[in-house]
Amino acid sequence: MIPIENYLVLSATLFSIGLMIVVIKRNAIAVLLGLELMLNAANINLVAFNLAHPERLDGQMFAVFVIIVAACEAAVGLAIILQAYRVFHTAVPDSISTLKES
Amino acid sequence: MSPDADIAYWIVAASMIVLLAPLASGILSALIPVRYSWLVSLTASFMLLVAVAGAVVLVSNAGLHDTRHFSTAWFTLGGNEIAAGILVDKYAAVMVLVVTIVSFLVHLYSAGYMAGDASIRRYFVMLGFFTFTMLGIVLSDNLLILFMCWELVGFSSYMLIGHWMELPEAAQASRKAYMMNRIGDLGFIAGLMIVYRKAGTFDISILASHSLQGWETTAALCFFLAIAAKSAQFPLLTWLPDAMAGPTPVSALIHAATMVAAGVFLLGRIHFMFPPEALQVVTAAGLLTALTGAAAALGHFDIKKILAYSTVSQLGLMVTALGMGAKDAAMLHLLTHAFFKAGLFLAAGAIIHTLHQVQVSTGKTYDVQDIRNLGGLRKAMPVTFVVFVLCGAALSGIPMFSGFQSKEAILSHMLSGQGEWSLIAAFLFLLTAFLTIVYTFRLIWFVFIANEGRQWGNIPEVPFVMRFPMIVLGLASLWWIVSLNPFSFSGWFMTGRATGSATMISIAVVITALATSFLFVRKKPTPTGAPGILTNTFYLDNVFGALVTRPVGHLSSLCVRIDRRYIDGILHGAAYAQVTLAHIVGWIDKTIVDGIVNFVARLASWLGAFVRTFQSGNIQMYIFWAGMGLLLLTLYIVT
Repeated sequence: MIPIENYLVLSATLFSIGLMIVVIKRNAIAVLLGLELMLNAANINLVAFNLAHPERLDGQMFAVFVIIVAACEAAVGLAIILQAYRVFHTAVPDSISTLKES
Repeated sequence: MSPDADIAYWIVAASMIVLLAPLASGILSALIPVRYSWLVSLTASFMLLVAVAGAVVLVSNAGLHDTRHFSTAWFTLGGNEIAAGILVDKYAAVMVLVVTIVSFLVHLYSAGYMAGDASIRRYFVMLGFFTFTMLGIVLSDNLLILFMCWELVGFSSYMLIGHWMELPEAAQASRKAYMMNRIGDLGFIAGLMIVYRKAGTFDISILASHSLQGWETTAALCFFLAIAAKSAQFPLLTWLPDAMAGPTPVSALIHAATMVAAGVFLLGRIHFMFPPEALQVVTAAGLLTALTGAAAALGHFDIKKILAYSTVSQLGLMVTALGMGAKDAAMLHLLTHAFFKAGLFLAAGAIIHTLHQVQVSTGKTYDVQDIRNLGGLRKAMPVTFVVFVLCGAALSGIPMFSGFQSKEAILSHMLSGQGEWSLIAAFLFLLTAFLTIVYTFRLIWFVFIANEGRQWGNIPEVPFVMRFPMIVLGLASLWWIVSLNPFSFSGWFMTGRATGSATMISIAVVITALATSFLFVRKKPTPTGAPGILTNTFYLDNVFGALVTRPVGHLSSLCVRIDRRYIDGILHGAAYAQVTLAHIVGWIDKTIVDGIVNFVARLASWLGAFVRTFQSGNIQMYIFWAGMGLLLLTLYIVT
């Protein structure tokens, strides 16, 4: 049986990569991608910890919920990005600065 | 009212009038506007006439035989009551009469002499005030008020001698007179303190019956110092000739009635306080003064200076007489001297006044007071000549004139005295009388008679307002002012008989002196002087300069040096220290206090700038920092 540490390392690595993408990438779509990656890292954790209690499916249920929420979030996020792109002709959040002074 | 109370009432009232009329004259002169300056001489003369009337009433009521004393409480000091009042005895009564009459005549004369003077109002103010203060001395019954008036006389004379203060010599002379009198005042104050400490009163009539418990001589000498300064006795005599820088009527007043007479009068007033030893000092000083003054008068060329030294000499004779106890004779000489010396000065003033006008009209300039420039004025100014000769004859003590009688009175007293001391005094007295005749003859000769050829042109006599006082004083120099018998001094003022020898010796001296002086001056076109040691009264001024002025000068320059070096040094050091301290404090303030404040401010702004860098507006940076924060928090919790 694969020890749980391997899962956790994978999850942490994925989370870190996602976070890095969120922080570094300038395009909003890429940022969304990073977010998905982080959510999935959390999902791996949830499923991995479910191994401790195989008789119950709480972890997997949570993972399914997260996937649903992630899908919704991606839909809303993409819609917003699309609308923003229409208005501002860019998908880079840093360039959208009409609220900022000067 | 009883007759006595009636008389007392009249005496007090008359005294008040006599005292206040000159003061009122002074005040009135000050109040009259400048535009009506000419009015001043009228009002002042009128007020003095009122004073003369008051004096006549006073004398006729007081009589010459009683001493009358009225006093009232003045103020209380602790438990001691100081009284103020008037004391009228024979001498005071006569003195009041003399002062008011001479002062009135001088006022009248001044109306002509000072006409057109720019500061005539101040002149008459001070003249009235001068008379008032002198009358205060004469009438006062206690030494304290007398001292106040004494000081005020000094002040008035200072103002009057320095009337033409724009002339440096007048300013100098007035200062000198004042300073010399200050020296005397020192003696007066010391005497007052002794008297009050030992006798507990200032009242002259009470003092007469009090003993000073061993301090008599000291007190007497202190008072004599004051008297010597005021009456120009040796060695404090040099101010009087210098005082000639003042207007001539003022000289007449100072010399005859007000200033120098005050000293002699005071000496007579407190004569009872002088023990025999002090009287010897008085006599010696008087004789020395008389001789010095007469010798100096012999050598000078300035007509007013000659008269001034003659006053010094005559005052010396009076003081000598008082020193020998001849109070009546001394006072009689004071009386006759007042009239003939005032007459001489007014006549001299007439010459100066007229010749000044001549100078102005002809444009020539020469010293009109120098007898070498005069001569032959007999024809040009006959009235002045006659007055001058009358008064000069009285001064010389020629028979038929008042001076003869008063000098005879003094000489009789001296000759009747015991011991060689009175004989020496009598001899020196006669020597002075001899010199007096010589210098008077010299003066009259070179002013009026010599150089008859000198062309004076058409000189006008002085106006009537000036001639009248001269004539009055000339007539008052005749014998009848003393007694109806021209060879006896025994009259209304004093009684006694001249010792036969006194009369004979006097007449002999007069004749010899007249002959000598006539032979001496007969062939000379110009007067000759005398050695400097005589004309400068033994270089007294230089002695004072060496003994007093120079040490005082050294002392003051020493004080200046100490002041500069040490006191200023301390002050400057303190100032520098303060400035240095201020600099240090400033540095601390700037660097440390301001430094802390600035540091805090800079730190805050730096911190703000640092913190601001986190809020760049970049969402991804926020996320980064949030992630880092989360990481740190996790590490903190885990470890």
